[in-house]
Amino acid sequence: MYYYVYDDFVQGQKYEREMALVETRLTDLEIAGKIARLALFRDPKESIHEAIQAGAKTIIAVGNDQTLRHVIDAVSDAEVVIGIIPMTKENNMIAEILGIPLGVAACDVISQRMVSSLDIGVVSGHRFLYSALIQTSPEMKIICEDHFTLFPPKKSVVEVRNMTFADKVTRAANPTDGKIEIVIRNEGRSIFGHKSLATLVPLKQAVISTGGTTVDLTVDGELFEGEEFHVSVLPSRMKVITGKERKF
Amino acid sequence: MIHLWIGALRLFIYLVNMNAKNSFYLMGKGNGEETIIAHGVRMEGDFQSGGNIVIEGEVHGSIKTQGDLRIGDAAVIQATIESANASISGTVEGNLKVNGRLELASSAKITGDISVEVLSIAPGATVNGQVSMKGAVALE
Repeated sequence: MYYYVYDDFVQGQKYEREMALVETRLTDLEIAGKIARLALFRDPKESIHEAIQAGAKTIIAVGNDQTLRHVIDAVSDAEVVIGIIPMTKENNMIAEILGIPLGVAACDVISQRMVSSLDIGVVSGHRFLYSALIQTSPEMKIICEDHFTLFPPKKSVVEVRNMTFADKVTRAANPTDGKIEIVIRNEGRSIFGHKSLATLVPLKQAVISTGGTTVDLTVDGELFEGEEFHVSVLPSRMKVITGKERKF
Repeated sequence: MIHLWIGALRLFIYLVNMNAKNSFYLMGKGNGEETIIAHGVRMEGDFQSGGNIVIEGEVHGSIKTQGDLRIGDAAVIQATIESANASISGTVEGNLKVNGRLELASSAKITGDISVEVLSIAPGATVNGQVSMKGAVALE
């Protein structure tokens, strides 16, 4: 049984036509199911839990990366397959990496049901599929697997990655390797001016301490605050529908 | 004329990049679990890995890997080191055990004992310590 979680924004007039096409295509493919609308209930977790107890085996987020994050948090350790029908080009990196096309085209990929078991990253109880960004503080230290400690430079950004694209200075993060990556980005000097540098350490768990300063934590686009962050990975924990164009 | 200069500059940058890439990739492949410590970052403690390691920053403690190790010219290492192969351009204080090939660039400064199978030292590199190599025969 399929269960669809519609984000608040897809229920607006702007998406009316595309959503009608999506619903028609899902019916044609015989994978239509119950629909939950995020704005209509206070806590999406309760509704998703009820759906799972009622026999839902596949939960599809209809929206963007944040919608999928709500579903990942709600699904927890339940034996279900999750998927996404992305509706916007913005805030859509997870679907791009999973190889899911935009809008109605995603329905065919969902119906093909190519399922991959992916690692899930956890930062202080918040699960994430893509990455978590942590603002640095002058006294920050990262205790890695209780064996060694990293001290980031003052002007740097700390990122915990599970599944990302490659960029100019780092490779793509693979969500099937059973590890997450600590990435520290800073700037160095070269004969041609400033250059971007990246420290990259694959590991299974770490504790990031800010030295008492409250800093921002952004998990798959959602903002939190804290002074100490426990980082870990749940290997092969989440069954996710992927497309042939997936990037890992 | 300016186009020629820009072209020459681009060719120079390309060749420098190729040289840097080749010097790493020719070292051999680990298990894909590559670790990089960039310039400006300090690491303290005992670090173990199954993959390749690139160090451009500062390390205090010990480094042990089944893969290859590259230490850049700005790196400062106060650690014991064990790796499959290694290429060193920076400063190392500590004993090195390299099971395969060790390349010391002209900017390398080593203070510590070296145990290695194959050793390559560029003119200008300094080594203060004992060097022991597999297959060595004592002179009578």
